[in-house]
Amino acid sequence: MKRLLTLVVGAALLVPAAVRGQTPADDPAALKLAEPDFNVIGLPTSLRLPKYGSAFRVTHRFTRALNDGDFGDVAADLFGLDSGAQIGLEYRFGIAPNTQIGIHRTSNRTIEFFGQYAAIRQSAGRPVDVSALVTIEGTNNFKDSYSPAIGAIVSRTVGDVAAFYVEPIWVNNTNVLPKQLADDNNTFMVGVGGRVRVRPTVYIAAEVAPRTGFKPGVNHGSFAIEKRAGGHLFQLNFSNAFGTTMAQIARGGSVENDWHLGFNISRKFY
Amino acid sequence: MTIRLLRVVALVSACAAWSACDEKLSTIAGPTPNLEPTFASIQHDIFESTDSAGRAACTNCHTNVGRNPSGGLNLVHDLAYDQIVNVASARKPGATRIIPGDPDNSYLVQKLEGKAGIVGNRMPNGGPPYLTDGQIMILRRWVAIGAPRN
Repeated sequence: MKRLLTLVVGAALLVPAAVRGQTPADDPAALKLAEPDFNVIGLPTSLRLPKYGSAFRVTHRFTRALNDGDFGDVAADLFGLDSGAQIGLEYRFGIAPNTQIGIHRTSNRTIEFFGQYAAIRQSAGRPVDVSALVTIEGTNNFKDSYSPAIGAIVSRTVGDVAAFYVEPIWVNNTNVLPKQLADDNNTFMVGVGGRVRVRPTVYIAAEVAPRTGFKPGVNHGSFAIEKRAGGHLFQLNFSNAFGTTMAQIARGGSVENDWHLGFNISRKFY
Repeated sequence: MTIRLLRVVALVSACAAWSACDEKLSTIAGPTPNLEPTFASIQHDIFESTDSAGRAACTNCHTNVGRNPSGGLNLVHDLAYDQIVNVASARKPGATRIIPGDPDNSYLVQKLEGKAGIVGNRMPNGGPPYLTDGQIMILRRWVAIGAPRN
């Protein structure tokens, strides 16, 4: 996990100084080469959605651990594709300038509603983008256990080359047990992530989410390679957890050193 | 307008958070919906009461009223705490009935769970029904937080 964090921070430092002063285009409908999608892997980005624009995303996390068995065993299962998966479907919509709302449902019957407001834009006088994020999710098709979250997305794009994120997020009711049976029921995490454009339409991305409070298992961590094709983004990722909603990410992964293959496919409609 | 909307959303979210979106203990407690991880609650709902699933009260046998307490363990109301917390088992040498903070090694918990190595039968004798997983979870929590006399 520390290696992943080092990779993200290291990539930020390695970006040529010449491109650091560049600012992104101000039109939310324009393609931001350094920030092509609304998520790094599981964590959100500060990419703005144009008013009345929308986007769709499919997430897939195969449950077979890639380190379970030797290479032949893993290859025989096509690196997890033969196993079950946690699948997520997401749709987001721009309801007002700089404001987007959305819904994300995962195949364990969790439904998350989220809203995001881009409060500060990176510009010559402002070194970072800042967005506010609020979410609430409920298990059993939003009928049982509810976990609200509130946080901020602080991002810095570096020309057309890279984007980096720091995301302090507080999630309530992350423990599935009643408070009488648990020491902690809230998780505060700081998502740290980045995306670097290594070819004109190819990116590498990574993210981690160290936590305090209720923190079972291991901290969420993930890295990915992705290809942008028009309004689509195809991402192949490797994660130590299946989480794609805020509470799921806050709960982390269940087993240390288990890594799973997955993918994201997203499409913009604007 | 947008900022106003954001403020409303933030306010609603904060209210939702403060309203403690939490699971109800009663959904875990099963046939003893009022059971809590306190000694008084465990004494009332587990030791002294037969629950709605038919699980027998411990004090049916563990009492000195009209009989000798089974296994040398007397769970009548005013004696129960001092009979179990930091008290050695009368049947299994070296075992302690309740070790505050250590539910795994508390012999009373092991007897109720029917763990391997216990002397005699799983409790309650004559079960099933035994304590449900949820009831045992609540009992274990009381032990884990130090088995207070509360």
